[in-house]
Amino acid sequence: MSLRADSHTGPKVGEKVERFEVEKAWLVDPASGREGPGEIVVSGGLLESVVWLEGKDALGVTDAGVVVAPGFLDLHAHFREPGFEDAETVATGSAAAAHGGYTSVALMPNTEPAVDEPGVLERIRSAARSNGSPVEIFAYGAVSVDRAGEQLSAMGELADAGVLGYSDDGAPVRTSKLLRSALLYAGMLGLPVVDHAEDTAMTAGAEAAEGYVASVMGLAGWPEAAEVNAVSRDLAVFADALRDEPRARLHLTHVSTAAGLDLVRRAKAAGLPVTCDVTPHHMAFTDEWIAGARRWSWKALGADGKPRDPWADGALVAAPYNTALRVNPPLRDPTDAAACLAALLDGTADAVATDHAPHTVVDKEVEFGRAANGISGIETALGVLLALVDAGKLPLARAVAALTSGPAGVAGNWPGAATTPAARSRGLVEGASADLVVFDRADRWLVTEGALRSKGKNSPLLGRELSGRVLLTIAGGRLAYEDPDPDRT
Amino acid sequence: VTAQAEAASAADVKTGGAAPGAVWHHRHLLDLDVVSWPEIELIMRTTDEMKGILARPIRKVPALNGRRVTTLFYEASTRTRVSFETAARNLSADVVSVSTATSSVTKGESLVDTVRTLEALGAEILVMRHSVSGAPYLAADVFGGHVLNGGDGWHAHPTQALLDLYTMRQHLPGGDLHGRKVAIVGDILHSRVARSNVWSLTAAGADLWLCGPATLLRGMDRWAVAWSGGAIPGRGRFHVTSDVNEALRDADVVMALRIQRERMQGGLLPSLREYATRFGLNAERVALARPEAIVMHPGPMNEGVEIAPDVATSGRAVITEQVTNGVAVRMALLYLLAGSHDPAHSGDAGR
Repeated sequence: MSLRADSHTGPKVGEKVERFEVEKAWLVDPASGREGPGEIVVSGGLLESVVWLEGKDALGVTDAGVVVAPGFLDLHAHFREPGFEDAETVATGSAAAAHGGYTSVALMPNTEPAVDEPGVLERIRSAARSNGSPVEIFAYGAVSVDRAGEQLSAMGELADAGVLGYSDDGAPVRTSKLLRSALLYAGMLGLPVVDHAEDTAMTAGAEAAEGYVASVMGLAGWPEAAEVNAVSRDLAVFADALRDEPRARLHLTHVSTAAGLDLVRRAKAAGLPVTCDVTPHHMAFTDEWIAGARRWSWKALGADGKPRDPWADGALVAAPYNTALRVNPPLRDPTDAAACLAALLDGTADAVATDHAPHTVVDKEVEFGRAANGISGIETALGVLLALVDAGKLPLARAVAALTSGPAGVAGNWPGAATTPAARSRGLVEGASADLVVFDRADRWLVTEGALRSKGKNSPLLGRELSGRVLLTIAGGRLAYEDPDPDRT
Repeated sequence: VTAQAEAASAADVKTGGAAPGAVWHHRHLLDLDVVSWPEIELIMRTTDEMKGILARPIRKVPALNGRRVTTLFYEASTRTRVSFETAARNLSADVVSVSTATSSVTKGESLVDTVRTLEALGAEILVMRHSVSGAPYLAADVFGGHVLNGGDGWHAHPTQALLDLYTMRQHLPGGDLHGRKVAIVGDILHSRVARSNVWSLTAAGADLWLCGPATLLRGMDRWAVAWSGGAIPGRGRFHVTSDVNEALRDADVVMALRIQRERMQGGLLPSLREYATRFGLNAERVALARPEAIVMHPGPMNEGVEIAPDVATSGRAVITEQVTNGVAVRMALLYLLAGSHDPAHSGDAGR
């Protein structure tokens, strides 16, 4: 592989990639469903050639080394601007995204002020244009004014200004009545409602998923039923709205329970055009991490299919009550984590979304129950999925699809977004603008505060090595990220 | 310090002469989950020594002479704080008392900043009470000395569980809890006392029963089921039930937990009256226990709710003994943490 002849003459972030080649790497093209040994050439910002190698040219090229894939699309991230720029900005979030292999990110509207009218959206757009990163920024508008759940936001004006959809994320759409109106009105505009499914009456004061770990640790339980109730409500209201407005769309984000995913599975089987995503952390981490365990979710499942006991088998290796693990929805037990993975494998979950939620030290270095919810995860999503791949739980091509064609397909299901760049095919297509990531599965990187480009250092993976170091990310033909290690070029 | 107290020097509280191997190596005491049975026995023996000191005319030894103990209480608790401060003074420590009502905590200072400030002011041993589960772990993470958990949220109250254990051992033949039935009745869900007692009493081999209304037991059954196979090294199984008669029948120890009024507002209980009728420890119910059974309560009591006044004052009640033993247990822990040797930088990460 040769990344570039001389790094000193190469482009800077934001500049067009004039010439770049990868020889003898493993190409993954979810758009065509093809993967295998190959080579690519980028020229003048375009993907000039994609060559699939065969025979002796392909000898020694495996999927365990350098991989070239289309750039990733995150359907759910928080870049905190405007209002919380000490936690993240569009600039730092974009840098973090590119470090994680993402070339496109859809931002949630729970900023201050919330994105409930086009003026706020324009501030985000302006920050995206001016920060120099080529990472493509999409934005959701709020469902309700100030996300208060009372009155619809300026939905039509927001649609005209180009929002991808609507969400009151951070909280569910407050009432069934408002959700129905929002689905109908957004449907008329061809756009979805993206809901955070939580029955907040059941979760007031909750700290961790209800169950063994929360009981032992004295943490207020967060019932599974709180998600199941909300998913059930959302599906019922959606089915109702769809009868009046066939273009209505519902996307459920960060579904985290086996029972909630099963409701989605059945709704899809019944023909409802609902989509959903799962997060890397709900697939790979579990509630026992709050007690101090750090093993992957699949290692926390016993041979009998039941969660193992971290107190019984000496799995507690870190200090308990680490607030980086406080997240909404909460980390659940290993059977739920397995259900998230199973949902991804059987298509119930259409995509992996990060719910990248950076927070300041001030908001996290507090008592567990008082800490802000959220995990800074956009830079570790690939590594976490590769851990699943390394463990044989997820084929590499499926992992890449969950980050590329999966989320693009979700946007493609939204009539008003289907012809926009959000839904564009994420493949390795000759002649198209170069939009790709190059990572090395054989090269591990240590997650440290310094390694994270995000302002949010609230990662439970600090101090841990992940495989799949990202070597280069090109977004829209321009350099988005390049690994700084000069020995690697 | 009198000559007599001088005589009762640190040598007096040197423990483990007969100790089979247990050496105290914890820098903090945050919960009992990481305290082994031999270590608990070491605490019990050290408490014996402290009881001896408390029996003297002058209850003061110089074991922690000049050491600085700070009590940081984010929740009002007169009895626990006074108990810790008495224990510290009995060991000749200098005591600083910080309560959140009078500190900059009311001005919004974070726990971490408060702890750093107290350390800068010279605190070496921090005794902490907090309403949020796990808060002492955060303090221990930033504090250079020793943290002693005086109760955190619903999570743990290790000194209470240890004084409970000490009191039980005093009253049971041979001081042995093996196979002895201990029934804890009350608001188990919100109880740090119950949780810490699970760790200590299952380690002691007791036949532990946790009992309360179903709404105040939520989740605890999952814990009991998880341990039903005896999977936890050094800990036995325990039972969870809403059947108060089953819990109390033939019990050797009966403990009531406080029921708080907030539970009605939270929709968890219909009324205190109904609780008293169905779960309150009255004479009739206590008669289900063994004739020699003792009655305990961590205090403060709601007499007439979780415990009938005649039960609380009966000859079976050992509630004031619990208070006295509490001072001795806390002396023992202060001594073990900071007096016997100082493992502050021995590499034990507080677990």
